[in-house]
Amino acid sequence: MMQKKVCLLGASGVGKTSLIKQYVEGIFSEKYLTSIGVKIDKKQVETKSGQVKLMIWDIEGIDRYCGFQPKYLRGASAYIIVSDQTRSQSLLEGVEIQKMIKEVTDIPGLLAINKSDLPEAWHWSQKELEDIQSGYEKTFHTSAKTGENVENMFTHLAQIIAE
Amino acid sequence: MDASLLKTLGLLDCIIIQRVNTNEFEVLYMSNNWATELLPEAVGIFTFSEDSSPYLLDFLIDAKNLWNSEKDGKIDSGIWSEQLPSQLIRLEATAFYKNKNQFLQINKIDTSYEEKQKTLQIARELMFSADKISEQHEYLHAKMDELLSGPTQTFFLKQQISQALEQTDLGVAILTPELQIVNSNPALKALFTDSNIKINIPEDRLVIELFRTQYPECERIFSTGSTWSGELYWLNPPRHGKWLKMTIHPIMSANQVIQYWILSVSDITQIKFLLKRNEKLVHFDAVTDLPNRQFFWKKLEEKVNQSLPFCLLYCDIKNFKRINELYGHQIGDQAIKELASRLNSITQGDDLLARIGGTEFAVIMNLKEGSPSQSIKYQEQCSKFAEELINSCRIPFYPAPGQKCEIGLNVGAAVFPLDSSNAEELMKYADLAVYSAKKQKSQSSIQFYSKQLIEASRKRIEMEDALRVAIKNQEFEIFLQPILDLSTNKIVKAEALIRWRQKGHALVSPEEFIPLAEQTGLIIPIGKWVISEAFRLLAQLNKQGESISIAINLSPRQISDRQLFEFIQSNVDEYKINAQKVEFELTEGVLIDNYEKVHLLLEQIHELGMKVSIDDFGTGYSSLSYLQKLRIDHLKIDRAFIKELTESSKEGDFALILAIISMAKSLNLGVIAEGVETQVQRNFLVTNNCNVAQGYLFSPPLPFIDFCQLLKGNS
Repeated sequence: MMQKKVCLLGASGVGKTSLIKQYVEGIFSEKYLTSIGVKIDKKQVETKSGQVKLMIWDIEGIDRYCGFQPKYLRGASAYIIVSDQTRSQSLLEGVEIQKMIKEVTDIPGLLAINKSDLPEAWHWSQKELEDIQSGYEKTFHTSAKTGENVENMFTHLAQIIAE
Repeated sequence: MDASLLKTLGLLDCIIIQRVNTNEFEVLYMSNNWATELLPEAVGIFTFSEDSSPYLLDFLIDAKNLWNSEKDGKIDSGIWSEQLPSQLIRLEATAFYKNKNQFLQINKIDTSYEEKQKTLQIARELMFSADKISEQHEYLHAKMDELLSGPTQTFFLKQQISQALEQTDLGVAILTPELQIVNSNPALKALFTDSNIKINIPEDRLVIELFRTQYPECERIFSTGSTWSGELYWLNPPRHGKWLKMTIHPIMSANQVIQYWILSVSDITQIKFLLKRNEKLVHFDAVTDLPNRQFFWKKLEEKVNQSLPFCLLYCDIKNFKRINELYGHQIGDQAIKELASRLNSITQGDDLLARIGGTEFAVIMNLKEGSPSQSIKYQEQCSKFAEELINSCRIPFYPAPGQKCEIGLNVGAAVFPLDSSNAEELMKYADLAVYSAKKQKSQSSIQFYSKQLIEASRKRIEMEDALRVAIKNQEFEIFLQPILDLSTNKIVKAEALIRWRQKGHALVSPEEFIPLAEQTGLIIPIGKWVISEAFRLLAQLNKQGESISIAINLSPRQISDRQLFEFIQSNVDEYKINAQKVEFELTEGVLIDNYEKVHLLLEQIHELGMKVSIDDFGTGYSSLSYLQKLRIDHLKIDRAFIKELTESSKEGDFALILAIISMAKSLNLGVIAEGVETQVQRNFLVTNNCNVAQGYLFSPPLPFIDFCQLLKGNS
């Protein structure tokens, strides 16, 4: 079976760990618990090209307390940048992280606009959002809480890297 | 000590492995339970299985690089979590190479992980709350700028303002320039609603009073129309006090006159409460680890009580907003960290460096004792120190790979006890001094507090007021200076130059008022007037059958005006001029500082058919790549180079002019010489194929009527 490494990156508190927990275990917790370092989860996915075993790297949020570590991307086949639609700044931080990723690798990336169950609290214009999204293979509006688009996103990711 | 004892004491919760061969390892020590679950293959001499921890296998790549280098050293893996069948554990590994031995140590760090997580949890929750509040304030001000800066308040607009006020969680008050209330929202009232206490003054007045009593900068913020953001404390006995974040922001009209003040307030008591749970975060700044404002105030007051001389330096990072806009807040924070570390390396002994605001640092610098009358010696010591602070910023910052940014520092200084023996006054004076330093054109500068500074500041305010009146009363005039084709001696263009005829005074030199207009933003309405008036004169010249072009200067601040292009376009339509007869002049600095905006603007004005010249060429940054990238038509050789051309000039004196002419030709650009005053200069230019020039040799700038007469004579 194919085994592929994928990385979840983004600012802290955007819900990376919650997305993975929802995807792998179907669990969601309202309480925010900050992650430190890396945790790797595994999940098998059925794609048109056969079964893929995803090794999902949940990487500590990048902020003033934790910098970007290019070494975590070694051997990765794809990445997801997660942003939080209740925090405008998280999308900009995602743009910065993507710039840094592009300096070390040209693997495909998806954008997850997370917390879609909560009211949107950013003021990006449609045009600004489109410009940002154009740098990704695809954008998913996800909710780790309701599970909206979580499965779809990871399946799509597996499909891209299995092709 | 015996390993079994260490183990019993819980001090050895790890796995120690020695590499014995390329892919073979031997277990030297292994804790119980978790270790065998993590590495079941690790028995005697073993190889790592493909099913081992993927994080560990990845780290082995780095470890092998270290071991194969055969140099003493160690590397860490960073923290990772591993879900074992029986438990979730936190690990960190280290690879060593020591005396030709190769080791791998894997530590279980559950306890230290929990401690770190507790601290980071608080720090990050604080960061989210603080960022969210700042975002709300910024958004509200941008929205109010959009709604309130227009000249008229329609019913529809008023409705939009009320809606914006109702929708926000922030307490908001809209005030007149004299700080009288215009509108406020229920959220502001709710912030001060307390069943125990009846507040005797309106909420907006209370907030302003808190600001006045707690921040010495208050007066300066209002008198200079600046934006300010910070924390206030409302002591509300017998209850616990309330911490408030307050932002005050002026709304300017198109003429850069304050129309309103927007005051926004939010309750941050909860954030302060979280801070208290971590003592370090109460007194230290999370980004730089330096003491924060509260700590600094405490130390400043202690210092004043000691009665020993010291200098208070207030440092403000120049144009930091631009770095955040260009590179994002992450990179911005990294740059601040690096700056803090550079500044810290300069402070000595008991000096104290603190981060007292987003872009502000303060230093208490101890002065060597002497008589207070030796004020010059004090200033010398302080100047030297401030110079060192400024110099430490001259080397570019590299906050992330491939990201280079330059940071300027303005420093204001006040000396204890010469300037004041009161902590509050010292801060106020140092703040005034740094505000004055900000007005200097140079990248970084230092300014000491003095009575003359106050006098200069008063004069500046008077001049600023007079300029506002001048805009209102249209006291400006355009003079035209002819630009000639030297091969035919015909006037082909004219540069539009502004003059200020202040009522009851002589002409005020542009050198006196343009820098002030640029600093205060008044250049936007003045610049618009120049464009409009120049177009009107061009239309008149065309009516008279003259087909010359007109050149108009654009300042850096004008380039930042989003409505500039629309304004140009609408004026072309209004005066029905031929856009091909218009040329805009920009300096090199503008191109570098606003590259993206300039690029777009030049494309747009070229589409209209207008041309672009680079003014004062050769004096600025001289980064030549933009000449190829941007749509530029002409270079104007700066007058300073032309001045060097005399009968006694040597070859080296005109090498630069020749280089500019030759470069322009090879890039297919036109060349115009400025400041031509002698026949020698004219002859030199003609001989070297620079055939377009302006200067007093031909004519000074003239009022429109005189220029028309000159044109008639010229034809």
